[in-house]
Amino acid sequence: MVKKKSLLRSAGFTVFILFIVFFVLFPFIQMLSMSLKYQWDWGNPSLIPRKINLEAYKELLNIDQAEKNLPDSIKNLLKNTPDLTKAQKNKIIARYKDTGSVFPFFEYFKNSFILAFTAAAFSGIIAIFGAYSFSRMQYRGRSTIQRSVLFVYMFGGIILLIPLYRIFVRLGFLSTPTGTFLTLIVIYMVQTLPVSLYMLGNYFRTIPYSIEEAAMIEGLGRFSIIVKIIVPLSLAAIMTVFIYSFMIAWNEYLFASIFLKGFKNLYTLPMGLMALFTSKNAIWDRIMAASMLTAIPVIALFMVVQKNLTSGLSEGGVKE
Amino acid sequence: METAKRLYPATLDRKAREEIFGWVLILPALVIILSLILYPIFYNIYLSFFNVNLDGVNTYIGLDNYKGVVFDSFFWNSVVTTFLYVVFTTIGTTFMGLIVALAMNKTFPLRWLVRSLILLPYVAPVISVVFAWQFIFDPVNGIFMDITFNKLHLFANRFNLIGSPKAAVWVAILFSIWKNFPFSYLMILSRLQAIDKNLFEAAEIDGAGTWQKFKAITFPELYFVMGAIVLLRIIWNFNKFEEVFLLTKNVKVLSVYTYFKAFTGTMELGQGAAIAVIQFSLLISFILIYVKKVLKW
Repeated sequence: MVKKKSLLRSAGFTVFILFIVFFVLFPFIQMLSMSLKYQWDWGNPSLIPRKINLEAYKELLNIDQAEKNLPDSIKNLLKNTPDLTKAQKNKIIARYKDTGSVFPFFEYFKNSFILAFTAAAFSGIIAIFGAYSFSRMQYRGRSTIQRSVLFVYMFGGIILLIPLYRIFVRLGFLSTPTGTFLTLIVIYMVQTLPVSLYMLGNYFRTIPYSIEEAAMIEGLGRFSIIVKIIVPLSLAAIMTVFIYSFMIAWNEYLFASIFLKGFKNLYTLPMGLMALFTSKNAIWDRIMAASMLTAIPVIALFMVVQKNLTSGLSEGGVKE
Repeated sequence: METAKRLYPATLDRKAREEIFGWVLILPALVIILSLILYPIFYNIYLSFFNVNLDGVNTYIGLDNYKGVVFDSFFWNSVVTTFLYVVFTTIGTTFMGLIVALAMNKTFPLRWLVRSLILLPYVAPVISVVFAWQFIFDPVNGIFMDITFNKLHLFANRFNLIGSPKAAVWVAILFSIWKNFPFSYLMILSRLQAIDKNLFEAAEIDGAGTWQKFKAITFPELYFVMGAIVLLRIIWNFNKFEEVFLLTKNVKVLSVYTYFKAFTGTMELGQGAAIAVIQFSLLISFILIYVKKVLKW
């Protein structure tokens, strides 16, 4: 009787776990499945495509696109003009190779990457010194600073969007591509700075103070202590904070959508995807493949730092 | 050289030098946060009293922006939508986070794998998962319609769930729960793992059942973590923009409403600023009540 009950219980538990996994993964599976389906297969509710279609990925990653895009007239020209050298032929083909007009994945990827990388790097460097200052040094006003950093959590993007837009329009930064790009870097840096300060501060407090004292006796100043001792000891935490900031900037849409509106060649991946979705080129397999390609770098990065990030996040939120 | 001497005279003791250096280190972060977060917020309040023109001329119009907002029924609709959204997403993410954390605190095969899979919705970019969700509820090809209409015959005809504002808000809520419950789960789990195991053993000796153990030990230990999670969730979801806007244009929570007001059509930046001020005041008053009543600070 007791055994039967516990058997039932563990079966129920297994079903529950399976349900959670299914709930969590279903949208991802749906995305993968659609990105691999042919258009005639869309109505088929099964998640397994009847026939695998890699066309959308090939198109986005610009693989084997040369032949497909060649107009018939050019194909004939190439076939019927034997005295063209190979180099000349390739040159002609190369002109049609670019499928960038539909969704220039690499360009958007590059923009997103430069933005996110620069913003995360600057935010990380500034945060290392700032976090060291308020977690390790004694001075008046320290705890006020520490508390106001947390206060910044309260402000959502939208309350900052209007004034920042206004300020940067007035400064004239938004009229040139370079200015716009730099503005966005600065804005992303600000948005990730409070989190970076907070997480790094928490980490620095776990480093035993005696190490620093020993270094001070050796005659090292504060600055050398940070560079030579604190940074090497907290590389994992710094990396985690960097990747967390990188992910925030990589995913950002609100500011990008307003600031980058006029500069199509500066579009980030989220901007580009949204533009693709509302354009006439919107077909499900292309959108889903582009979604997959946008998600994969972030998920890969997350896998790298998973252990540190999860403990960092829970220490950041749970204060006791 | 002179300045250096004045800044660091030989007589300046270690403590004073430490004080200066502490400020020097925090200064860049402070300047950036002050100039790009604090100043814009005050500037936003200032703008809310002006008719903001794109060519750079602002004219003072007193409370006209606020009047325009308060007498607009769309504004009140979006207040209601926001409350609906915040209340249900907060309850949903916290409750789901709690249940999943309790389950993940037990040992079972492949637990490490399940634990990391659960975090995927939280880390995946919003923009890349919204389309999958849209497809699920797509009226023609989506799996939701296939199951409810074709297989179960629950509805008389196919319809676009995300297309109607009334129904779309529930899809947005479900999406937000799916996306954000991993965060609550993570917080609760790490607190669960810190509970002293001896407490449970003692309770078992006293003959306590599963529910009694939860009520007497687990829940009190989790109370403040959950209080903090709920607070953060309220703040974040009250300001939420991307998770709603990218999924559907039909759910006009306050942020989305402001966005449309300020950046589309006639670009009413002044009114947008006024809404943002109202939104922020609502949030602050809500938080003050919450902190007093629930967290008892």
